Amino acid sequence: MRHQLSRVGTLAIAVLAASVAVTACGSSDGASGGSTGTSGGKVELTIGTFTEFGYEDLLTEYMRLHPNIKITQHKTGEGGPYHQNLFTKLAAGHGLEDVVAVEEGYISDVLARPNLFNDLTKIGPKDVTPDRWLPWKYEGGKAKNGALIGYGTDIGPEAMCYRSDLFKAAGLPTDPEKVAPLFATWQSYFAAGDQYVAHTHKAWFDSDSQTFNAMHNQLPIGFLNTDDSLAMETNPQIRANWDTVTAAGERGQSAKLTAFSPEWNNGFKTGAFATTVCPSWMLGVVKEQAGPKNSGKWAVTAAFPGGGGNWGGSYLAVPKQSQHPTEAAALAAWLTAPEQQIKAFQKTGNFPSQVKALTDPALLSTTDPYFGNAKTGEIFSEQAKKVERAQYKGPGDGKIKENAVSPALQAVEQGKSPQDGWQQAVDAAKKIIK
Amino acid sequence: MTGLRRARFWVYGLLAAFIIGSVFPFYWSFLVASRDSGMMTQKVPPLLPGGNFFANAARVFDTVPFWRALGNSVIVSGTVTISTVLLCTLAGFAFAKLRFRGRNGLFLFVIATLAVPTQLGIIPLYIAMADFGWAGHLPAVIIPNLVSAIGVFWMRQYLVSALPDELIEAARMDGCSMLRVFWHVALPASRPAAAFLGMFTFMMSWNDFLWPLVVLDPENPTVQLALERLQSGYYVDYSLVLAGTTLATIPILVVFVLLGRQIVAGIMAGAVKG
Amino acid sequence: MSSGRSARLAERGPTGRYPEVPGPVPQTPKLTLRDRISGWDVKFSPYVYIAPFFILFGLVGLFPLLYTGYVSLFDWDLLDETHKFIGFNNYIDLFQDDQFYTTLVNTLSIFLLSSVPQIIIAVLLAALLNTNLRAPTGWRIGVLLPYVASLVALGIIFANLFGPNYGLVNGFLELVGLDRIDWQASRFASHIAIAVMINWRWTGYNALIVLAAMQAIPKDVYEAALIDGASAFRRLVSITLPLLRPTLIFVVMTSTIGGLQVFTEPKLFDSMPGSNNGGSSNQFQTVTLYLYQTGFESQHLGYASAIAWVLFLVIIVIAVINFLLTRRLAGTGEKK
Repeated sequence: MRHQLSRVGTLAIAVLAASVAVTACGSSDGASGGSTGTSGGKVELTIGTFTEFGYEDLLTEYMRLHPNIKITQHKTGEGGPYHQNLFTKLAAGHGLEDVVAVEEGYISDVLARPNLFNDLTKIGPKDVTPDRWLPWKYEGGKAKNGALIGYGTDIGPEAMCYRSDLFKAAGLPTDPEKVAPLFATWQSYFAAGDQYVAHTHKAWFDSDSQTFNAMHNQLPIGFLNTDDSLAMETNPQIRANWDTVTAAGERGQSAKLTAFSPEWNNGFKTGAFATTVCPSWMLGVVKEQAGPKNSGKWAVTAAFPGGGGNWGGSYLAVPKQSQHPTEAAALAAWLTAPEQQIKAFQKTGNFPSQVKALTDPALLSTTDPYFGNAKTGEIFSEQAKKVERAQYKGPGDGKIKENAVSPALQAVEQGKSPQDGWQQAVDAAKKIIK
Repeated sequence: MTGLRRARFWVYGLLAAFIIGSVFPFYWSFLVASRDSGMMTQKVPPLLPGGNFFANAARVFDTVPFWRALGNSVIVSGTVTISTVLLCTLAGFAFAKLRFRGRNGLFLFVIATLAVPTQLGIIPLYIAMADFGWAGHLPAVIIPNLVSAIGVFWMRQYLVSALPDELIEAARMDGCSMLRVFWHVALPASRPAAAFLGMFTFMMSWNDFLWPLVVLDPENPTVQLALERLQSGYYVDYSLVLAGTTLATIPILVVFVLLGRQIVAGIMAGAVKG
Repeated sequence: MSSGRSARLAERGPTGRYPEVPGPVPQTPKLTLRDRISGWDVKFSPYVYIAPFFILFGLVGLFPLLYTGYVSLFDWDLLDETHKFIGFNNYIDLFQDDQFYTTLVNTLSIFLLSSVPQIIIAVLLAALLNTNLRAPTGWRIGVLLPYVASLVALGIIFANLFGPNYGLVNGFLELVGLDRIDWQASRFASHIAIAVMINWRWTGYNALIVLAAMQAIPKDVYEAALIDGASAFRRLVSITLPLLRPTLIFVVMTSTIGGLQVFTEPKLFDSMPGSNNGGSSNQFQTVTLYLYQTGFESQHLGYASAIAWVLFLVIIVIAVINFLLTRRLAGTGEKK
């Protein structure tokens, strides 16, 4: 046995030597598929996006306006694989697009590495000023050292969605104006929930984690303190939110449906819960999952417990890998101008983060027949203004949410005690920021 | 099987039940693809397909470059399959029938390589591909898969017992070079096992997801990457996704039914001696 | 290297499967150049033939493996530019990591739940297929069908079947008067559901391998037993199974290596889309899933590399045991 293994060892070295030789003669200039070049005097740019950004027509328009630029868009379906790919290529040092979209949940990882990205205040067009964006959105794209890493694209101002028919059956008001007081504070929200559960013996909200996330997003700092130490044990507000939500869940308010799971999708169709937190982009989800049969049953109101909140939205960044950073920054700046983001909004419903866009008649006049002709443009524009500041999200914040807190809340719904669940969340979070 | 009675009806019954279990998920995805995703909430799902399949299929073609993806997948899986079968048979032949120093140690090494977890190789492999200038192009998904340890293992196991040493000796006496012995003796003898290895490799390559995702450009996708794009957006339209998977499975299914006899024969022949 | 004689052989029939006539025996008494070439041919050809595998493996297997081993000695974050050398600290941490043991137990549990019933059902299925069927090929293709399923579809379908609230499986359990099971929450139930996914895909394939071995058993053995009046069950237990042992061990061995690296099924099974958590409390997270999560989500590449190496060694140990076992029980199937 030992004899064989030592031969294996010798062979391994021989193979390694051979493979190094192969590597040596095979390596070339290191150019790869994702990066760009210049051909025939034209600057070739690439842009990477996930889900739908509504940029297709805009990119064509940009190329028409700038005949010397040729743009290729790389679209990925889901955000998860997209960002994994992004980080892999950042690590490899090759292959990224010239302009990359980064979602809010991942931006902290990007902001923690300002050395891998260009500072847009340095290479971007000079006429792009901070007042283009809502202040908290602009701040959200800045690294600690002050470099501007991302131009804001869209945001996800939060409102509440509710099933008016189920409200009616439970003896609750159904008219958006009359419903709004129920959603004035988290206290009134959960009180109404108790009333609803007592009446119908059905769940009030979809899951602990969706509700907790919405509450948590309103805190000034996230799961990490500004010195990037874990805030979960030092900030009593986080624990208080945890206790409030899990207690409501144990009183029967949670339908215990994991967000975005097939079961959750089905819950929309069967009316398994009466309310759900509704960032602007959630309207499309509700519509698609509840389906045409439930048209008119869901409603949305410009009220959100405890004021405003934001959930979601993205940024455009220019990695250092890019060979045409100036051109790339110019493109990103153009795409994130109010005029363009309004067009993208009309295409996909992604809510613009630009101050001027929020008062644009095209946006304000948007209504949605599915939600009983609610003036969705106006509602979310109003909600967007209620957001006071960007929550401080340290590096690893998104991962703590996804891999520590949300699973632990799910575990509580599955029977773990809130205390044990909290411990699980804290332990997992410690491991993530290790 | 002379001497044994014809199979009784309960044997057919059990087999039929098993096959219904095998077919059911395929049929079920076709059902969803031909209706809308609302059927997934129904306690008792409908048993007959609805009329939406072609509409859903048309949406698949609108959403992603499906033909291109199909073409890429055929090129990638086809090349990988042919090369794997040839190179694995070659190496398997050497391990099974040729005497050389270090044979056993090297073969043990081949088996050991099966245990290398593939997930972590992604970053070093990507760096290598980028250095070679292959990232974003089909060679990046083809080259690393041109030969496989499981294939070498499989062909060696088969050839040990299926290829009599006398044949090789006879050919050698005849003055055949080693390569000729391989080409005229070993290769034909390994056909059944190679047929199976071919199918196995083709399926592995066809279903590969993580590596193509990292190394290919999204607008030059393989079928699996195109399918992933169908799940875009904050919500998943299962009718659309399952219409896509059905479309992607049809070519495989056709090949499978057409070549089923050879493939089955391949497994049967290849596995006689573990 | 086409000598005159082999050219003649080619003329005789380039596609001729087996040259039956040995042809004239070489009569040259002295070592000619040709003989010497032939000698080199014999000596070096084997290395040339296995070279493609080893060269490619050096690139896609060995280089990443050694790189991983190197990285595992560092506190290496995916995106950091400088990395701190910490020796074997990642390994020391790993051996004190509860989650690692959880995932190791999960992996072994899912492996056992998938391989044991799979092999039993495969043998029974093979026994059914080994009866005197009409249209045998049709039935064989039928049982192999799950093998061509797309993994994306598989994830959607099985998540739906095992959904705690709306799943067909729970609907069925209620219909027959049983309690519904939370397939996501319960550790054991989730392992069963994942094992079902794996079994659905691989049982038919293994049944055919076993069937092949069954058909290689000489028929007169059965006929003798028939004359002695042995029942079908008796024949299976006392004749077929002992003779199947080498094949069964082969099946166990290949499924050990695959089974210990189970990744896709538990990932697809999680109700949280795209999640690598393996359930709310890692109740069905496998080692590869944990390694993937550590490396790419948490971006602790150094620690993930340590997991990879330990997993690699675990698999090697089990595979070597299996290899030796196979050789021993299967006898010497090769000539030395």
